[in-house]
Amino acid sequence: MAVPILRQGSYLIASVQSELTDADWVQLGDGLAEQVGRHRSRGVIVDVTALEVMDSFAARALSTIASMTRLRGAETVIVGIQPEVAFAMVQLGLAPTLVHIVTALDLDDGFALLDRRTREDAEGGRGG
Amino acid sequence: MIERAERAIEPSLTQEMEITGEEIERRKAFLEFGDEDVERLMSMNELAQQYADSVIEAFYRHLLSFEEGRAFFPDPALLERVKRKQKAYFVRLTQGNYGPQYVEDRLRIGLLHERINLPTKLYLGMYNFYLRTVASYLLEAYPQDSKKAFGLFLSLLKLVFLDINLAIDTYIHKRERTLRLQQEAIREISTPVLQLRQGLLILPIIGVVDSLRALQLTEQLLRTIRSNRARVVVMDITGVPVVDSKVANHFIQTVEAARLMGATVILTGLSPAIARSLVSLGVDLSRIRTVGDLQGGIEEADHLLGYRVVKGEELDARARPA
Repeated sequence: MAVPILRQGSYLIASVQSELTDADWVQLGDGLAEQVGRHRSRGVIVDVTALEVMDSFAARALSTIASMTRLRGAETVIVGIQPEVAFAMVQLGLAPTLVHIVTALDLDDGFALLDRRTREDAEGGRGG
Repeated sequence: MIERAERAIEPSLTQEMEITGEEIERRKAFLEFGDEDVERLMSMNELAQQYADSVIEAFYRHLLSFEEGRAFFPDPALLERVKRKQKAYFVRLTQGNYGPQYVEDRLRIGLLHERINLPTKLYLGMYNFYLRTVASYLLEAYPQDSKKAFGLFLSLLKLVFLDINLAIDTYIHKRERTLRLQQEAIREISTPVLQLRQGLLILPIIGVVDSLRALQLTEQLLRTIRSNRARVVVMDITGVPVVDSKVANHFIQTVEAARLMGATVILTGLSPAIARSLVSLGVDLSRIRTVGDLQGGIEEADHLLGYRVVKGEELDARARPA
């Protein structure tokens, strides 16, 4: 199932509604990387609230998405990892895969985090 | 007292204690309790009926001659009721059909005795008294054939041991369950997750952390992070006496799981001894934010959350025009 990518101001939102196949993850990453450029987005939010399982491929896919969008100029935040999922991922040793990605509790916090980061970047830019 | 308790008991103790039909057969096989034993016991039924009253009377005389025994029978009506039940059991021993229902009944009776806190010494003493009394009656009944009397007695001995075993198992089962419940209660109490400010949780850990507790602690923290929408957690381990590499790994897992949910964990209260042992064990805590004490941890958390704690007077002084 393809994941719809929505644009909200200078951010992109991808809300994963069901378990994705490996191919779906790859497609999502490509779609996001492409649209970041097209819309000149500054941030990407991947919402995984609906996911009850996160396997090693999904974890790696998220990490890849974050790296790809960063290269294209947008910060990615993963939001909505459920307590049970977080717990299982740590137990499975998947946490190191996600060590470089940014997480937030939910969509709301994800927006706040991106706002803060882009503002810091802007200020940093002025200062330099 | 006894009848009231009886009604409150759940129906299948055999299930709860995992004493299946197979298990019953295994127990019987271990005691070498076979069909010929059942036959022998049933052949004694008439004799048992005949002597039941005198055995029961003798037993309660014996029991009541002890202070500890008397304490269980504050009123005569109760004593009569219990005597009737004992007599029924005594006769039941020689009525055959020692299947699951028989076992269930034994467990139920065992649990009753556990509930009224009957000491096992009295419980076992009762069986001993029965066996001795029955032995002498058997010898009386077969004066010419002591071999037969002894054979009958041995069959009874097997059944009685089966019963004793079941009764003691209920005692153990009940105590173990109590112990388990208490352990759960202690764990629940010992890991409170407290909200200090909007978005800031405090997790003071006190006592020994084993794998099970670490799991529970992590689960509880993750749930609270979600429900309180926390962004920073200060985990204080001042009260943890020993941190070896296993415990340290638990902490690392907790920190990582919290991070996946968007919360930053600050670990505080590592004593010099723990710091030394972690370093010499080669545990890598570089991915975890650590601050010396709880106060420092909260200050760091405030900083992360954008809070600033300022004394009222200083604020006033600043507000006053110079």
